[in-house]
Amino acid sequence: MSWIPFKIGQPRKQIVSKTVERDFEREYEKLQKVEDQTKKLHKDMKKSTEADLAMSKAAVKISGDLLSNPLCEQDLAFLESMTALDTAMKRMDAFNQEKVNQIQKTVIDPLKKYSSVFPSLNMAVKRREQALQDYKRLQSKVEKYEEKEKTGPIMVKLHQAREELKPVREDFEAKNKQLLDEMPEFYNSRIDYFQPSFEALIRAQVAYFTEMHKIFTELTDQIDQGSLTDEQRKQENEAKLNELRALSIVAND
Amino acid sequence: MEPNRASGNDRENEKGERKDKDKGIKRRNRLFIRYLERRKTDTIVDDDASKGDISIATLVRRSHSDKTEYSAKLKEKMSPHDLSSPTSPAMDPDEIRLRRMTKRSKVIEELVRTEGDHQKDLELCISEVLLPLRAAQVVDVDRLFTNTESVCEVSAELLQRLKYAVADPDPETQLIGEVFIQTKAVMEDVYKVYCYHHDEANALLESYEAQEDIQQHFRRCISALKKIYDQEGKPNLLDMGSLLIKPVQRVMKYPLLLAELWNATPTDHPDNRPLQEALTTVKIINININEFKRRKDIVLKYKRSDDETSLMGKLNKLNIHSIRKKSDRLTSYFKILTGVEPQVRDEAFDREEKLFRSLEKAVRQLVKNTSCYLLYTQEMISIAVQNAQDLEAIIKDPDKIDTNGFQHKRNGSDPYKQFKDQMEQLVLAPLSSLLGMFASPQKLIQKRYDKLLDYCSQLDSRSSKEEQGLAKKDYLALNAQLLEELQCFNRAVRTILTNCLICVVKLIQKLMEAAQPPVLQIPVPMSNFSEVQNSIMEELSNLGFFKENSQKLMERKVSFEKRDKKTVPEIPRQMEEQRAWLLEEYAVDRLYQLKRNCNACQQSDISLLEGELVALLEDRDPMGSSSRWLVHTGSTQGYVYSSFLKAYNPQREVTERPDDFDNLSLFVSNSRSSSMRSFSPYSASDSVSPAAQDEPDPSEDQHFYAVYAFQARCEQELTLQENQHVRILQFSDLVGNKDWWLAESNGQKGYVPANYLGKMSYA
Repeated sequence: MSWIPFKIGQPRKQIVSKTVERDFEREYEKLQKVEDQTKKLHKDMKKSTEADLAMSKAAVKISGDLLSNPLCEQDLAFLESMTALDTAMKRMDAFNQEKVNQIQKTVIDPLKKYSSVFPSLNMAVKRREQALQDYKRLQSKVEKYEEKEKTGPIMVKLHQAREELKPVREDFEAKNKQLLDEMPEFYNSRIDYFQPSFEALIRAQVAYFTEMHKIFTELTDQIDQGSLTDEQRKQENEAKLNELRALSIVAND
Repeated sequence: MEPNRASGNDRENEKGERKDKDKGIKRRNRLFIRYLERRKTDTIVDDDASKGDISIATLVRRSHSDKTEYSAKLKEKMSPHDLSSPTSPAMDPDEIRLRRMTKRSKVIEELVRTEGDHQKDLELCISEVLLPLRAAQVVDVDRLFTNTESVCEVSAELLQRLKYAVADPDPETQLIGEVFIQTKAVMEDVYKVYCYHHDEANALLESYEAQEDIQQHFRRCISALKKIYDQEGKPNLLDMGSLLIKPVQRVMKYPLLLAELWNATPTDHPDNRPLQEALTTVKIINININEFKRRKDIVLKYKRSDDETSLMGKLNKLNIHSIRKKSDRLTSYFKILTGVEPQVRDEAFDREEKLFRSLEKAVRQLVKNTSCYLLYTQEMISIAVQNAQDLEAIIKDPDKIDTNGFQHKRNGSDPYKQFKDQMEQLVLAPLSSLLGMFASPQKLIQKRYDKLLDYCSQLDSRSSKEEQGLAKKDYLALNAQLLEELQCFNRAVRTILTNCLICVVKLIQKLMEAAQPPVLQIPVPMSNFSEVQNSIMEELSNLGFFKENSQKLMERKVSFEKRDKKTVPEIPRQMEEQRAWLLEEYAVDRLYQLKRNCNACQQSDISLLEGELVALLEDRDPMGSSSRWLVHTGSTQGYVYSSFLKAYNPQREVTERPDDFDNLSLFVSNSRSSSMRSFSPYSASDSVSPAAQDEPDPSEDQHFYAVYAFQARCEQELTLQENQHVRILQFSDLVGNKDWWLAESNGQKGYVPANYLGKMSYA
């Protein structure tokens, strides 16, 4: 808060009423919060797209490495299943990229644009502040002259001061009013602004996951001939591992 | 078998003793074949002689003196020798045959009987010891007794067949050999397994020595067994160890029995040939069992030795022998490295090894990549949740709460968590333990390679047959063992790998399914999505503070724009009355008319429009230049360039239409004149007279001179020398470029750059 605190010991006439001050402050605070939140969301969304891309790349690596393994030359069935896996992973990557682009367009860029409004707001508030200072200064000058005895030169000065004060006060009033009117408007606009973004985000996710689900269902049908349940598979693995442990060439651990 | 007592059937009571002797002897039989070859005569007491078997040990010690004699006799027995006994040449063939037949029948009887005993012993063992122990569940019965039950079964079958074979009363047609040939496969398998695990069983037994309660169990069982034996008159049972060793002894007895039988069989007996075959078979069984054990031993030995990594251990191992070995290996290795083919190759092994390596790589990579993937997924989901929270925070306010679809993000963490857990369980755990298992075979393969090198170098070198034989044996044993087991290993690994891959895919599929947000009504995609947002942005920009302040923030841009938009101040037109006044006031010859518009650029200049009337007051300017004249417009006075004025001819009120072209040139000329002013010292002679395309009137305004020399670069251009006079025909080139003027000089025409020219003033 940058309001000049009252000078101690000097009773001042309230230039700007307390309620007005409070309102102003409240609105401004809300907007400041929105600003912070927007920035944070922007940063987080960027991070999330990066994480998305990294994840996708890791998945492609799984299949890529296996495909390049010499095992594929020796075992034809393995080669087939690996190719299928690789294709699926690559498709997943492509879709992911698309999703990320979509999100970039519909969420991240608009976020940025929205953020660009804030500097102007901040500047406007600063200027109002300046205007207020000027106003206060001149007002105190006028009061000072008013308190002095009404001699000629004093009267002249008083008159001058009053003249000076008028435009400044008007300026301040104008700024104040402007901001007080426009800040709530700005604040309310954010909902309408973000809603489409958010909907687009959901839509992109839904599309992605449906597509992925389809791809992977196809894939499981392709490579899973045995169709055992997970439990059965686990047991089979355990059995095989025990078999291996029984071999003499394997170390006993 | 008991050589000199073969004929004696009445040594029942000695059987016990014999059996004891057998035990000691049978123990040695494990190395029997080698024994024969090496002729070792010292006592070979196996390491795993169970300590409880005191009688065995004493027996061995006691019968030490007997051994040499015994072994000699044994050898005699084993080697095929003439059936005809040299001691009785006088006997006729028939008698010999008869004797043989008697012997044969006796041996057969013994065979059958001992088999029966053996089988019964096994049965008793099972019923009295194995089953109670199993019920008590204090010892690992399976590891102790391995496949005793199967052994018992096999023995029973053998017995049955033997009985069947001897059921035939005619001794000529009793075919024993066949029986063994038929059962050899089964026998081999069963006894192989038993013998293979016998060592372990013994070790286990030893470990149980310390445990008193188990010992109690043992004692109890054995005493029960002993009771039964006592009833049957076979007081020879000692303890668990001797129980366990029975099958081992039995299988080693077969060669001896069969050898004897064969010796006793006359050549013309139909059983001769089969017996011979059976004998070989049984011998082979024993060899196989030995070999099997040997392989296992070798593997164990090398596996164990590789585990010792302490420095002291390594130093201890260093001795001449090992150093020589290692240097030999190195040479062989280099030989191979330089392209010399090793003499010994095993294609199958190489294939298996290659497979082994690929599998290892595959498993390793899968583990790494899957964990990587998992990691990223976790990261992503945590950030996504964060995003949802942020968005919510922004939109949420006392006013309006839009919760549509927020739920999906929050629930998203659960399927992901499940994904992670299951992935770890089903895929990563088995794969990691699998990966650990690769290490040991790896070492053994390396060892085998070393052995191979040894063997190869042995083949080359002149080492003794013995050493060669040893190296070869080592290599072959290791090779065979590894080959067999690698095949198993690879197969199993492959299955596990495939399973894990399928798991991965299924898990991902499940995840994708679950991660779909359960949004019931997805709002219709707004085609005007961007428009909506743009419109909002516009509204925002219309907000006062934005407008003002964003302008302030973009000062430079704005100022540029403003400069362009500077409106040209209005030039007041001359009024009619002013003209009238001028006409009145001044003589005609002092009245001039503006040829064109002119803008005031210097101080005290005035802007005039074309056609306006002015009266000349002074034909000089304060600086003395005659190109600027002081004129009176009727309302104001100011300076105008003389070139803009022409004499006023009242008859000809020609209003020349202002040309955009000319106007432009005025502006341009203004700017150019300012630029020209900068480098031309002849500041008086500046402003260009507007090009009049029509009359080439030789007025002052078309005479210029070259301030600088100019070299024409092409046909269209005109070469100028310094201070050369030229006449301008056009004040622009064909495309309207003001910088090039069409000039004429000395009959030649060409374009010259405008800024090389200076105005001629005849003033």
